[in-house]
Amino acid sequence: MMLETSAVAAEALIPPRATSERVRTLLTYTALLAISALFFVPFLWAVSTSFKTLPQTAYFHLLPHPWTMAPYREALSKFNFALYMRNSAFLAAVITASNVFLAGLGGYAFARLRFPGREVLFLLVLSTLMMPDQLRMVPVFVMLTNWHLVNSFASYILISLVTAGNLFFMRQYFLTIPKDFEEAAKLDGAGYFKTFWRVMLPLAGPAIAAVTILQFQGVWNDFFWPNLLLQDTAHYVLTTGLAQFVFQYQTQWNDLMAASLIAIAPIVLLFIFFQRYFISGVVSAGVKG
Amino acid sequence: MRTIATRLRPGKRGAATVGGARLREALVGYAFVLLPMAVFGVFFLYPIGYAIYISFFDWGIYGKIASVGTHNYHYLFHDHVFGLALKNTLFFTFTVVPIQMALGLAMAIVVNQKIRGRAFFRSAFYFPSLTSSAAITAIAIFILNADGLLNKIVGGHTPWFENESTALWSIVGLISWTTSGTMMLFYLAALQSIPTDVYEAAAIDNTGTWRTFWKITFPLLKPAHFFVAVVSVIGAMKVFDQAFIVSHGTGGPNNSTMTMVLYLYRTAIYDVHFGRAAAMGVLLLVIIMAFTLIQRIAFGRPEVQ
Repeated sequence: MMLETSAVAAEALIPPRATSERVRTLLTYTALLAISALFFVPFLWAVSTSFKTLPQTAYFHLLPHPWTMAPYREALSKFNFALYMRNSAFLAAVITASNVFLAGLGGYAFARLRFPGREVLFLLVLSTLMMPDQLRMVPVFVMLTNWHLVNSFASYILISLVTAGNLFFMRQYFLTIPKDFEEAAKLDGAGYFKTFWRVMLPLAGPAIAAVTILQFQGVWNDFFWPNLLLQDTAHYVLTTGLAQFVFQYQTQWNDLMAASLIAIAPIVLLFIFFQRYFISGVVSAGVKG
Repeated sequence: MRTIATRLRPGKRGAATVGGARLREALVGYAFVLLPMAVFGVFFLYPIGYAIYISFFDWGIYGKIASVGTHNYHYLFHDHVFGLALKNTLFFTFTVVPIQMALGLAMAIVVNQKIRGRAFFRSAFYFPSLTSSAAITAIAIFILNADGLLNKIVGGHTPWFENESTALWSIVGLISWTTSGTMMLFYLAALQSIPTDVYEAAAIDNTGTWRTFWKITFPLLKPAHFFVAVVSVIGAMKVFDQAFIVSHGTGGPNNSTMTMVLYLYRTAIYDVHFGRAAAMGVLLLVIIMAFTLIQRIAFGRPEVQ
């Protein structure tokens, strides 16, 4: 049905052309809708299931009958996803803030300030970009165990204070800002930190937006480090809480889908409002990194 | 004299001479990079050396037990499960990478056409890449369970993740679904940087669509192929979350979902053999570096634009 309408619409829009052209348009839309369906159906099925009662989940009905909010209440009260969500939000907020500040500060210094050894230090930063987290897993775990930090939020925050990728990204952006602004600030008698804080950071808005969104998403979605460093129930985050739920109550599908959608929703909302920054962030982080 | 000094002064609190200003700038520079460099030093660079060091010891929860030379490496080379983990990881890499590249490129080409609703389709294809591995794996477990949606559609009763012969393939499908969108964005950026006059020339020569793609677009995307291949291979070699969650951390059934990182994790956390786990991390790094080098040779040096 939808396919027909879009094909007709496309035909109405485009002046008559060769049949091959029309066949191509039709094929393109067929492929597009087929892939979209493939990508969306699992999510739609999850949404529908999250509004069903448990006995209903065994049947092949797309629409719940009757609708129920119980799975969401269960997930948030009985299964403590409210706590996991608070933990996730806290960690994502703290780590994102520290990344914006430290990557901005370091990125500004590497972009603008001249000091001996700058190139060597910057090469060191770049070399950490290549390093897989899995290599540092054992030594970092041993260090944090020795410092009695495992099972505390401090462990995860410490190892994530700033990433080389973010610093590199901020530096590249600062390089594109004309020097006139800083010189004006200097004439006004502003010190280096004030210039950075009052002049450069506000000018780097789009870069900060990209770092904020991607870093927040990264922490919110991270499973590897919380699974390693935050193993007690009081410190579970949404991702590790979900995994534990799968291990213990795998077949309570409606509650599991509600919990999964609670975990996904904030990032989807962010994406809807800040799509531009998501896409430019992913692409520039990729192309330059 | 006084006026000259005032003029050279960058600010009220600035140093009195050019040399002083330079020194001040350098000191501020060091101060600004101090904290980031400390984080990189302590939590990224030092751990590389420390990992190699630990890999030469029998190392438990209370630290060093004994120096064992290269025994941890010898052990791994003769370890049946490590062999399986390596085999699974390589199998996974050689299936996921081509699928991701082909799907990513196909989707990028489609949403790069002048069609209606291309922003919608771009978002739709990218959508699964937004979600956390844990949430998407939970949804996949639901869809692929013995009574799940997929079995209702195909009319079977296979527990996809709990069946030795389908478990790894199911993870291949899951990850292809959730990461191709990111590869699409990389390809899309590369496609949009191809100058349009190249295509205009092809149109004048009356070159067909299919031929234009294979003779012009595909070769021009060489740097993008290299980049996507490297990113995709590194991601595939590190696969962990999905295997951990679907197998409840066991790598089962019968080690069919045991990946290198999952085995590394189990060795460190469940068996508390930090030395052996560190050795695995070092081997993983060596393999990833070897792959990157091979790809660099295969695709040639990425051209400077």
